[in-house]
Amino acid sequence: MHQKPYILPLVFGILALICLGIAPYLVFVYAGIEKEMGLAQKIFYYHVPSAFSMFLGSFLCFVFSIFYLWKRDKNCDLWAACSAEVSLLFGTLVLITGAIWAKPIWGAWWVWDAQLTLTLILWLILAAYHMLRAYLEDPVQSARFRAVLGIIGFLNVPFIHYATKLWRTHHPEVVRGEEISLPPDMKAAFFFCVITFFALFFALLFKRVSLAKAQNELESLKAEI
Amino acid sequence: MPIFLTQTLAILQKDLKTEWRTRERLSAMAFFALLIVIIFNFIYEPGSPIIKTVAPGIFWIATAFAGLLGLSRSFAIEQQNDCLMGLRLTPADPGAIFLGKMLGNTLTMLILQALILPTLVIFLNLQIAQALPRLILPILLGTLGFATIGTLFSAMSLNTRLREAFLPLLTLPIFIPALLAAIESFRAVLEGSEITDWLVLSSAFVALYIAACLLLFEYVLED
Repeated sequence: MHQKPYILPLVFGILALICLGIAPYLVFVYAGIEKEMGLAQKIFYYHVPSAFSMFLGSFLCFVFSIFYLWKRDKNCDLWAACSAEVSLLFGTLVLITGAIWAKPIWGAWWVWDAQLTLTLILWLILAAYHMLRAYLEDPVQSARFRAVLGIIGFLNVPFIHYATKLWRTHHPEVVRGEEISLPPDMKAAFFFCVITFFALFFALLFKRVSLAKAQNELESLKAEI
Repeated sequence: MPIFLTQTLAILQKDLKTEWRTRERLSAMAFFALLIVIIFNFIYEPGSPIIKTVAPGIFWIATAFAGLLGLSRSFAIEQQNDCLMGLRLTPADPGAIFLGKMLGNTLTMLILQALILPTLVIFLNLQIAQALPRLILPILLGTLGFATIGTLFSAMSLNTRLREAFLPLLTLPIFIPALLAAIESFRAVLEGSEITDWLVLSSAFVALYIAACLLLFEYVLED
């Protein structure tokens, strides 16, 4: 029983490690250099998959939050909180890699582009989610409030998307609906990076959850003494 | 009359009555909003044309910040003499308690805005008389959206270690899209351009969040 939680993080961790080893080869050697942006475009292979992982994390947080309020299962709250935490990490990566890319291409660290603003606001909501957790004392109430914020926060995504779109758009649109406007070599490298980042996301998520479970166990053991 | 509506109106009436007896909240909010409007004047050159373009922003910042001040008291007053426990014990639906509180906050903020607008006219030399009829709908929608999430988070933030001071940290990030819609439609009205897209956005925001809060408020109130 006690061994089981360590298998999943290990499997995904090894998978992520292998992929992370192969990804630089695909990104720097296999995929061609983009004509207009040159080497700066390479960061796209890490930036966009990080963004996907961030949205995946927020979505998981939303789903687990609903399940928590519905089933009142402590594990759902744990998963929601851990998803949000990993999502915040990837969000930070998106913002940092985005800024590094924007400096040579747009000539500024930050441009108030629609997708950048969307990411930033989602990042703020995720940060607020963690603040809320840190500032609440009663664990049951904390879990309930977090679930409410997890739902309210995720519902905000379509509004931010629509509002920022109306407000302004500068972003290069790589993925337009079904069609992906990339040459085959870049496409292959990109998809590989998406798989890599998802593997990394799940490795971190499973690890974080098993850590949180161990933490809870320790707390209850301490309480027994 | 459906029971839900009766309960909502009872809560609303109670809140408005307590507010009217002291006018404590409203006067603090109005004074704070006045301060914000005046302080913003020091940021820009007096009489500079920029002020016209930032006026909608100043209006909404004043509304939102002063509104937060009022909202933070919305549930704090219920803590005296365990009134919140009393509210919980009434047979009223949690959704009705939320709606009553939310409408009370909306009305207070609308009165506040009616006070802010003239100060903008005076201090920023803003001409809004002609645009006023078209301004009502976007302002109403923005205020409803703000009061909806603000009321929900007001009940939540009370239980944090920072108490009411935590409210802006939760409310502002969620309010950003609606705030953007409110400011941009205000500006568009002053310029005489189309605001349909923004109105669609803020109506959807209000509708979805009222529905979500009616469902979720139960979990916030629970002890």
